[in-house]
Amino acid sequence: MSFDGYKTVIKEGDSVILYLTINQYYILEAKNTAVSKKGATVQNIFQTPYGPIICGDLIGKLYGTKIQLKKGWAYVLQPTPEFWTEILPHRTQIIYSTDISMILFYLELKPTSIVVESGTGSGSLSHAIIRRIKPSGHLYTFDFHETRAEVARNEFKDHGLGEYVTVQTRDVCTNGFGKEMENKADAIFLDLPQPWLAANYTTQVFKKSGGRLCSFSPCVEQVQKMCAALSNLGYQDIQTVEILQSQFSVQKKKMSVLNLNILKTQNDGKCEKSEKEYVNFITSVLPNSLPGHTGYLTSATFPPCY
Amino acid sequence: MDNIKVGDYIIVQRQNYTKLHKLRSHGTMALGSFIIEMDNVIGEKYFDTFQIKNVPNTKKNYTLEKIEDLSSISTSLNVEQSGSDNRNIEADDNNQTMSSEEINKLKDEDLSSNNILEKLISNSKTFNTKTEYSQEKYIKKKSKKYFEYIQIRKPSIRLLAQMFYRQDPAKILGIRIDYLSQILSYSNIQSEGTHIVYDSGTSGLIPAALLESIGANTCGKLIHMHPGNECQKVAFLAMEFPEEQAKRCINVNLYSVLRHYHQTETKGLKDACDRDVDKQSEENVEMKEYEELEIMETENNEQPEAKRRKLDKSNWQVDNELACKLLRDGVHSIIITAKEHPQSIVDALEPFLLPSRNLVVFSTFKEPLQELYFHLKNDLSFLAVKLTTNFMRNYQVLPDRTHPEVNMTHGGYLLTAIKVKQ
Ligand SMILES: C[S@@+](CC[C@H](N)C(=O)[O-])C[C@H]1O[C@@H](n2cnc3c(N)ncnc32)[C@H](O)[C@@H]1O
Repeated sequence: MSFDGYKTVIKEGDSVILYLTINQYYILEAKNTAVSKKGATVQNIFQTPYGPIICGDLIGKLYGTKIQLKKGWAYVLQPTPEFWTEILPHRTQIIYSTDISMILFYLELKPTSIVVESGTGSGSLSHAIIRRIKPSGHLYTFDFHETRAEVARNEFKDHGLGEYVTVQTRDVCTNGFGKEMENKADAIFLDLPQPWLAANYTTQVFKKSGGRLCSFSPCVEQVQKMCAALSNLGYQDIQTVEILQSQFSVQKKKMSVLNLNILKTQNDGKCEKSEKEYVNFITSVLPNSLPGHTGYLTSATFPPCY
Repeated sequence: MDNIKVGDYIIVQRQNYTKLHKLRSHGTMALGSFIIEMDNVIGEKYFDTFQIKNVPNTKKNYTLEKIEDLSSISTSLNVEQSGSDNRNIEADDNNQTMSSEEINKLKDEDLSSNNILEKLISNSKTFNTKTEYSQEKYIKKKSKKYFEYIQIRKPSIRLLAQMFYRQDPAKILGIRIDYLSQILSYSNIQSEGTHIVYDSGTSGLIPAALLESIGANTCGKLIHMHPGNECQKVAFLAMEFPEEQAKRCINVNLYSVLRHYHQTETKGLKDACDRDVDKQSEENVEMKEYEELEIMETENNEQPEAKRRKLDKSNWQVDNELACKLLRDGVHSIIITAKEHPQSIVDALEPFLLPSRNLVVFSTFKEPLQELYFHLKNDLSFLAVKLTTNFMRNYQVLPDRTHPEVNMTHGGYLLTAIKVKQ
């Protein structure tokens, strides 16, 4: 229940980030009991590399504080869409925070926006959309996969976001977005294998005042078809970009300096080895292997019609 | 959508070029080599398209005529016959038989890029022997120069950010849209809470973008700290936020607010804050109106100096008190887009940041952020400290001719971290 707004105290049922190190963090539920695989009610215990944690004990603790574990300590943090994207259970390919940030920006979202999204997938993007548009905006998200839609719907509810989002099972490429969605949206986002098919139905979905559309596609052929379709449908400002983020490893380094000046004066060679000199410096290095491609982002404006 | 009215900030778009303009009655705007009378857009709608037309009997003055039927604008000329390669083309500047005087005359008589283009093409000895590719390139280049249609757009953060960056990245401290987009998500800013931004000069873009994310009719607040007497605010004004929303951005001078916070006795401060709220907002309104006036009528500024001083002073104090009161309760994000070294700014502001809340610092340089990285990790209670950079590429998408754009920009660096309680 802890994705909506800023919370100070951990309440029963909250999702909590348990942060050990930059590469080790987990999400758990602050609940005394859990249901085991066999269907029995058991004490809710979460195993970490630093030892087990009794999840119910977190209730009443403050977000951002330290928790003692058997072999070390951890911090409890309030989850954010960025954390969620990193640790959510994958049901599909997902979009990551770098692209998500651009998508929200291109869609010009703010806390009143009505947004249409398809497909819902694993709900990675949806969480970030909801944060930007609540409390008075709404997300309508469509996926033709029944179970995925169901899982996402429950997740939003568990995260306390249910009131901001409507999940529908629907094939938007063959059936469009439905009569109820006509003239409703400020923004539309598509992450589909054939977005141009759904694009045909988008023009009715926008409010009379027009709006913004964005589409994410991994392949350049998809982008070409999509851009052609958007242009035929009367979209303007059609732009395609690719964006990648890389994270530095910031390091303090020490480098030895060879003293070669000494060789200019006569010397019997005795002190050369003993006089080692060093310089210290800070540097940032990129990892050897980096993600080189995620997808292309195509964005466009649908002009108002009077 | 509202009609365009005098006093509005509008974005004038001519193909890919955009320019911000404040509409006055009987005002003109310079666009490329044109001086355009803007009165004809008043009362029309955003997104309308206008044709630039020469005012008869003037050389340089142009006026705008609304285009009702957009289908009449053929964006591309029908080009027939194209060579399959360019073996017959010689590098020759004299391929154009029209003189520049003739071209200018054409421009003054009847400005229609298609007409001009057609004449240019028919007077070009080599056009028909160019490959389709170079024909297209030629048309693109020429039609850009003589393109006579403009569209009026309502400013948005996206349009403003792209416009400033294209005009001069320095106007917004080099913050490209991808960094701006990340500042908005990694700060975890939303419609509630109190947020601090220290911004040393992005033409008001960063505070405007943050306030847009906080939203209208919400309870979120932004404390905008700046280094000077007056903050930069072009982008902020261009967004024309409703007053209710604009008022939740409290502009304070960084030194002045921190001095106030540390040196005003807690008791005195509390009393000051408990003062009649109505009075505060009244003063705020008065001040806002005054400021607007000042911006609009800089040429005829006859406001008595004394009154101005008085207004200024009480406004500062009220804002400082308001900000200090909020600071006392803690803030839900800190965003720093500074020209200065960020470390001392972080040191001064991070005590206000609540546990489990985010810090985001943008810099055009990597070194200050590297130092800050170790400072946050070793001396302060932050975790998940990350230093990142972006790669962003625009694409030309055309059937069989899709490729990255020839030029690309390099961005800056972003440091993010989460505050915890030790
Ligand atoms: C790559 S996933 C979306 C991931 C999502 N953007 C995220 O960040 O978690 C694509 C989704 O689109 C759905 N989908 C594919 N074709 C569809 C269609 N015609 N109508 C509705 N959903 C469709 C799939 O079921 C899948 O869940």
